[in-house]
Amino acid sequence: MKISLTVNGQLREVEITPYTRLLDLLREDLGLTGTKEGCGKGECGACTVIMDGELVASCLVPAPQADGSEVLTIEGLGSRDNLHPIQESFVETGAVQCGFCIPGMILASKKLLDENPHPAEEEIRLGLSGNICRCTGYAKIIDAVMMAAEKMDGRESDQDG
Amino acid sequence: MGKKYNVKDYYCKHTTRCSTEGRKKSKRFVGHNVLKADAWDKVTGDAVYPDDISFDDMLHIKVKRAVHPHAVLKNIDISKALKVSGVVDIITAEDIPEVRQYGLIVRDQPVLVGVGEKMRYLGDALAVVVAESKEAAKKARDLIKVKVEELEVITDPFRAMEDDAPSIHPDGNILITHHLDKGDVEKGFANSDIIVENKYQTQFIDQLPMQNESGAAFYDERKGVVNIWASTQWLHDIQADVAQSLRLAKNQVRIIQPTIGGAFGKKEDVSVHIHLAIAAIRTGRPVKFTYTREESMITQSKRHPITIYAKTGVSKDGYLQAWETKFIGDTGAYASSGPAVVHKGMYHCTGPYNCENVRGVSHAVYTNNTFCGAMRGFGTTQAAFAYESQIDIIAHKLGMDPAEFRKQNIYEIGSTTPNGQQLNHSVNARETIESAVELSGWKGGNSK
Amino acid sequence: MKQENNQPISGTDFKNYFQPSSLKEALEIRDKYRSEVKLVAGATDIFVQYNEKLHEVENWLDISRIEDLKKIEKKEKSIFIGPLVTHLEIIKSDLINKHFSALSAAALEVGSPQIRSRGTIGGNICTSSPAGDLLPPLLAYEAKFHLSSRKKSRIVESDEFFTGPKKNILKDSELLTGIEIPISDAEVYSFWKKIGRRKALVISTLTLNLVLEFENDLIKRAGLAVGSAAPVPVRLKKIEEKMLGKKLSQLDYKKIAEEVKNRISPIDDLRGTKEYREDVAADIMVNALEKIEKERVSG
Repeated sequence: MKISLTVNGQLREVEITPYTRLLDLLREDLGLTGTKEGCGKGECGACTVIMDGELVASCLVPAPQADGSEVLTIEGLGSRDNLHPIQESFVETGAVQCGFCIPGMILASKKLLDENPHPAEEEIRLGLSGNICRCTGYAKIIDAVMMAAEKMDGRESDQDG
Repeated sequence: MGKKYNVKDYYCKHTTRCSTEGRKKSKRFVGHNVLKADAWDKVTGDAVYPDDISFDDMLHIKVKRAVHPHAVLKNIDISKALKVSGVVDIITAEDIPEVRQYGLIVRDQPVLVGVGEKMRYLGDALAVVVAESKEAAKKARDLIKVKVEELEVITDPFRAMEDDAPSIHPDGNILITHHLDKGDVEKGFANSDIIVENKYQTQFIDQLPMQNESGAAFYDERKGVVNIWASTQWLHDIQADVAQSLRLAKNQVRIIQPTIGGAFGKKEDVSVHIHLAIAAIRTGRPVKFTYTREESMITQSKRHPITIYAKTGVSKDGYLQAWETKFIGDTGAYASSGPAVVHKGMYHCTGPYNCENVRGVSHAVYTNNTFCGAMRGFGTTQAAFAYESQIDIIAHKLGMDPAEFRKQNIYEIGSTTPNGQQLNHSVNARETIESAVELSGWKGGNSK
Repeated sequence: MKQENNQPISGTDFKNYFQPSSLKEALEIRDKYRSEVKLVAGATDIFVQYNEKLHEVENWLDISRIEDLKKIEKKEKSIFIGPLVTHLEIIKSDLINKHFSALSAAALEVGSPQIRSRGTIGGNICTSSPAGDLLPPLLAYEAKFHLSSRKKSRIVESDEFFTGPKKNILKDSELLTGIEIPISDAEVYSFWKKIGRRKALVISTLTLNLVLEFENDLIKRAGLAVGSAAPVPVRLKKIEEKMLGKKLSQLDYKKIAEEVKNRISPIDDLRGTKEYREDVAADIMVNALEKIEKERVSG
């Protein structure tokens, strides 16, 4: 079966099966391997993307349900030469170690900051509560979100990344 | 009795290592926040982890695992599985008679369990399925039929050490025993006013790196070189082990490390590597193999559960006099780093505390549990649970503040560890305790 | 090395993926395929259950496109919640916050932001896990479930719906089409507590929900339900009855707590022992009464 969806602003048509997960579609069919699989059961958050404005675990989204949707992955947020302020902050605060959780962490941070541009620490912890990091202990990740909030302050709203 | 260690003064006089003057700072890095060079790739999703590698024409691997934790494989039937459309190859032990066992320290792990051989835990591989898609590989894997003769499953190292327990490996269930002897423990206990004896038990822990074991491989037939892109913490050891297992020269095995999504000791062992290499060589096509989280949990190493007996003698003025210990580590079905981990734990049985009389014995024991290997701390973390508990319990019995009791016995420059290493620089244990007391707001005291 | 792979990733050996846009159509498919079709809405449970086995499912009935099942509506004396309403939508709904604050509180503690944005109230109900976090509030608020098949519709009380772990009275021809919760005119107080090993992404070790409605300081209605403490989420009616017609000050909190402990039948499992669950249930029952007492004083 064929579906079409907008990924990082680009309309894509993909041949799928009912057992294709959005995660497989992104990684294998579209080659967007920035989205990671850590558990396949929605527990770790490594596969987090933003779909129709909501944070989702792409390993738990049947690809047919993504038909007609708009998806933002880490590749659509910023590039090496043009980092999004959240990406910049993760680099500058040393929040990145092995990096496997980072795409999901950054997208969860984006969703959080879109809704709440000045989150308190507790709100950041809640916003990132679906994302596990095994390296950092989270402190620097929270610093990164705080720094990003500051950087984004006053910039134009950033609804579509 | 109650002798204070003052070798520090000696060392400070004769070396420059404990100078109290401000240290010279490196102008470039030390003392500065340095941005990590790989962070840019990782925040943009550009970093290539093993599962991110794709080749045209690539095949996928799934492995049929043991169906019982301790059983003899009687028969394996792949005929139905071979008929699944998309299946390219199913490899069983009879296809690879030349392949040898592997292992980090002791080569006791079979690449594939053959008919007439034993599966020793649920992670043992029975067959490697290579197919055009993951689904085809999964489907075929589930159609492989296996007959086994079940043996007693040993999940407890104490059972494993009993005389009538079946041997998991040919040489018995005690993989290795180490002894530790320093000073004279009998004398030490005779000089003790209080003796505290306890048993401690730690549990299995999965290192749980975010990225599961994963890799891709391609066999360059012209050069006779198999290229393996896979996560590992020991490139050269893995290269050597894969090469000996496949009877290749080391320069026929290239291990290329992609970005690695965490390891914490779990990726010291061979995981996907040999299966990838065999599949790549046999099919002549690029292959990829990524464990699922369950597979990773069942198959790859864990932190050793260790049973620790600790008997500690202390004088009433609060100085450790004697420490006797026994470590029984469950190393699971295979040795992995077990021979090193369990006795390393024992060597740390007194923690960072001075004790002149120490005696210990450690056994790393085979069971049918998932094998245990390296995890951050390498045995010392388990030991810490025992010795820090002992210290608290003793402080309580002495009616001493536990922080003071620790400081009174803490390692300093010149202290010797249970295995006789003299510490001659960078001993900051006292400062660590002082900092911890300050940062935690510990107010001191102890109710007897 | 890293290149786009446009090959179809898997075979085409599945049979059907139905994605109807109307309830009528969905009920027809359900009626035709019965137990041969797997229902999927938010997929946060079934994709976990079928992890690595998704290709084994032959027929899917994806009800996620049925707009009629996504509404939250105020009726005369009740609120009607469509089964496809997500946990996130429950948290954001002013109507639900206002009338059923414990339901919102429970929804906020389900899974993670990623799960709450997709998992639905209908899914939570139909999965019928004894640990389903929305279930104790639905019992305590006396929700009614609307069930429909192609030919018939029926309305059942929430506490008659669950029959065992992951079992319920839903027939294989039926769909849950709505959740109706009565609105009370009385002064309503509620308490929700989830006990788990972590704050996020945790299956509950125990949950307790207490709803008390007061009239002239007297308890007019009580709803008390506990999750993860029996094969099904349970409503403790016997204890509710003992509170009726009394003032809070006339209640012996310790005694009621003891009664809660005696009337649940938890098991030992990975998440906690029977003994732990019983003790915790008793403790949070006291917390519940104390919290409501405090709230009433501060008005």
